[in-house]
Amino acid sequence: MSTLILGIETSCDETAAAVVEADGVVQSSVVSSQADLHARYGGVVPEIASRRHLELVAPVVRAALEDAGVALDDVDRVGVTQGPGLVGALLVGLSAAKAIAWARGLPLVPVDHLRGHVATLYLAPDPLDPPFTCLLASGGHTLLLSVREREGYEVLGSTLDDAAGEAFDKGARLLGLGYPGGAEIDRLARDGDPEAYSFPVARVAGLDLSFSGLKTALLHAVRGLTETDLAARRADLAASYQRAIVRALAGRLRAAVERTGHETVAVVGGVAANSELRAALPDARFAPLELCTDNAAMIASAARFARAVEPPGYLALDAYPSAPL
Amino acid sequence: MLVLAFDTATDVATSALLEDAEVLGERASVAKTLLEDVDALLRQASARPADIEALVVGTGPGSFTSTRIGLAVARGLALALDVAGAGVSTLDALAAGAEGALPVIDARRREVFVPGAGAVAPEDLDVAGRLCVGDGALRYRDVLEAKGAAIPPDDDIRHLPRASLHARLVTAYGRVDEIEPIYARAPDARRWRG
Ligand SMILES: Nc1ncnc2c1ncn2[C@@H]1O[C@H](COP(=O)(O)OP(=O)(O)OP(=O)(O)O)[C@@H](O)[C@H]1O
Ligand SMILES: [Mg+2]
Repeated sequence: MSTLILGIETSCDETAAAVVEADGVVQSSVVSSQADLHARYGGVVPEIASRRHLELVAPVVRAALEDAGVALDDVDRVGVTQGPGLVGALLVGLSAAKAIAWARGLPLVPVDHLRGHVATLYLAPDPLDPPFTCLLASGGHTLLLSVREREGYEVLGSTLDDAAGEAFDKGARLLGLGYPGGAEIDRLARDGDPEAYSFPVARVAGLDLSFSGLKTALLHAVRGLTETDLAARRADLAASYQRAIVRALAGRLRAAVERTGHETVAVVGGVAANSELRAALPDARFAPLELCTDNAAMIASAARFARAVEPPGYLALDAYPSAPL
Repeated sequence: MLVLAFDTATDVATSALLEDAEVLGERASVAKTLLEDVDALLRQASARPADIEALVVGTGPGSFTSTRIGLAVARGLALALDVAGAGVSTLDALAAGAEGALPVIDARRREVFVPGAGAVAPEDLDVAGRLCVGDGALRYRDVLEAKGAAIPPDDDIRHLPRASLHARLVTAYGRVDEIEPIYARAPDARRWRG
């Protein structure tokens, strides 16, 4: 049997584990989302997320092994998200992963969550070969990347304020929609007129982006409306808001391609699930729908290309909260 | 039976390796490097991880994050080694190390954890004539002494949770996944990313 990697991810509100082969075949991918738990707060509550991770981490790892039909004996290395994310949440997965690897004498691969999102593209059955230009748009990050090798990437631009997914989530809240907001806006926008409102996205120099002004524009549009009017215009507002975000992302991605010269284009992260973005970039490679939001298959995939640490070298590893840009 | 015990709930992470009642070694560091201590304890005893037969883990109360580190390590070890375990409250372990004393753990935000009361202000404790131990007793020494408490010197060992004491309090082992942390305080419901 080929080399097997156990991946563990607990950076935000998904507790996830996966078993992936060295050649990128996903044997199992278990994601236990806490979205329902956080919905009543309109977003992720860190301490609640961390408590839930502790309850779920062992059952989720067991389920991933079971789904793959393997035992821990068959696993050759453990990959785990080290950051960026919520530190309290990360520490649950990292501590459990260190303990599992140490108890079994296995190497541990600390994985950067953002590289994990990109490494979704390297999974079977159709792994993407660098070089390519990549948009990573998630709940906490919006990055334009030049990817020349699987081991890493160069950041060409990023958001100066809110991330694209965060803009979706905050917009959804203003519209009285549930959490997480991206999928809700996506759904509602199908019934709306994307040209009903003209929401401008700030022009920023270089390949950076900014979404905070857009959120303010939506706030102004919503503030003038009565409950009844809002109900009547909600779909139009969602469609117009989504259109503005998609335009900004697609435009920046095209500009990034001009800079890199890498004609192959890819999109990863939660926002890659957006149907309008997928339609707007017909030639781009998108992460498979089920692997756009957080999962551990992407972490195990990234662990194939990152440095493995032999025991006891990883026993003092700590989590890191934000991206080391 | 080779028993590994540890507690990361407070600023001092304690760990111990025992062969039945005999303490083979005991160490102290911080939660994030707990496994380094565990590794050292095993090496010192010429044992391998697979030799561990049972786990004892401190369940707090203390810092949420660091209590969880100990429990996550315990869950990972139990999963990998297929061993049973027991949870012991950090307050009980402190009390076991100082006869007749009231264990007081720093709960931050000007509060302390004491047995049976959750998080309370040190000013509200009835401690006249009592011996108080723990990092909460040290932090609020002035307040508690003014109320008539007796508190050992700062470097007295009775202020520290010691994992060998946790191990001695265990009466039965069960599934490690079912050992729950004692948070003793509701989570802060503040949202991330505004
Ligand atoms: N169909 C969709 N359209 C737009 N946005 C979406 C869609 N589905 C999910 N999202 C957004 O994706 C985000 C979640 O993505 P992901 O799980 O990658 O982010 P994260 O892990 O929280 O952040 P990061 O990866 O930056 O740490 C949320 O903001 C959510 O609203
Ligand atoms: Mg993510």
